[in-house]
Amino acid sequence: MIRALAFASLVVAAPVGAAAHQLVVFASVDCEAVTIEAKFSNGRVTQKGDVRVLDGENNLLKTLQLESDGTALVPLDSVDHSGGLLIEVDTGHHDNYWIVTPEDIARKCGS
Amino acid sequence: MRSLKRFLAFAMIMISVNAALAQDRPRVIVVNQALQYFAERLLDGTADVAFPVPENVDPSFWRPSITDISTIQSADLILLNGAGFATWIDRVSLPRSRVVNTTAAIEDQFIVTESITHSHGSGDEHSHEGLASYTWLDPTLAIAQAEAIAAAVVARDLASAEDVEPRLAELRSELMAMDQMAQIALGELDGIEMIATHPRYQYLARRYSLPVTSLEWEAGAMPTAEELADLENLIAETGAKLMIWEATPPEAALAATQSLGLQNVVFAPLARNSGQSAFVTSMDASIKSLADAVETVQGD
Repeated sequence: MIRALAFASLVVAAPVGAAAHQLVVFASVDCEAVTIEAKFSNGRVTQKGDVRVLDGENNLLKTLQLESDGTALVPLDSVDHSGGLLIEVDTGHHDNYWIVTPEDIARKCGS
Repeated sequence: MRSLKRFLAFAMIMISVNAALAQDRPRVIVVNQALQYFAERLLDGTADVAFPVPENVDPSFWRPSITDISTIQSADLILLNGAGFATWIDRVSLPRSRVVNTTAAIEDQFIVTESITHSHGSGDEHSHEGLASYTWLDPTLAIAQAEAIAAAVVARDLASAEDVEPRLAELRSELMAMDQMAQIALGELDGIEMIATHPRYQYLARRYSLPVTSLEWEAGAMPTAEELADLENLIAETGAKLMIWEATPPEAALAATQSLGLQNVVFAPLARNSGQSAFVTSMDASIKSLADAVETVQGD
């Protein structure tokens, strides 16, 4: 019985009823700009947050704020993207990142 | 002198040929040591299997560099574990046609966990739901993952079905033998409660009905005084007699838990890059160590 109870404590058969939210960051490239989208995993829009754009050597290239719809735009000609870009979003309570490789950018630019 | 020149020229040619062949070999990326072992067994040298996570880093939470991701994106096959293992895979673009989730066929057997509880400022306390990720510690699930890898390497022409099938049969047979051995060795626990230093063993515990309660200690590290105090409370609560470590801690840590009445066992969960590809022998040894520790506790 004890064994069964102990095992049961490991397994939650039904989804946990608590509010579950993690920050989800996504960045897409269209050859002219990187569009960053951040939202919580429960679907709620991330209305505020710092966006940091770093290069392949972890040098900070740019900082900006999320728009109220949870997006931010980084024109490619405003940063040196030759070594790819690391996009970090930090809301103060949650943070996450997205990696854009040089190949991701080249693919979108048809080269 | 002339023969030395000839020898050197021949050696240079051979080095160039080998380098060219190495560059031409297909590359397979894996996200943990268990998948590395299965892929290497099934491919048997027909492709390079790379586990890009450094040895001292937890592959579940590895943060790759842009160069790492460029290398991964160009691989011929990317073998994921699924079940939420390796958080970096959700933070990059991976070529969908070359990605295989090795637990896609066994998702109905996942264990759902309540992973993190916290609050924001004055906000309500809440939890992030998660999945137990170390699926391969149940040998029956490990077999399913090996089967998924076998199908993937054949489908992508990295090895022929004729070559892969007997390798898979041999691996499957070894994993089944391990499962039978574990059922016998761990089948007579008589309710001996266990505490694990980290929540890694959910699938192992489910497979063999092991009563395991988990802490959140750092792998192989000396626990703090506060952690030891929490452990003492947990022992009082559960009546635990056995402590499972995922990595060998300092001697002082083993002595500290022993003084609390716990029998120590190191059971490597085989996720981290250990610099060597081992699964069956390591699992066999861990299962035997666990069974021996149980026997010692029963004899006390």
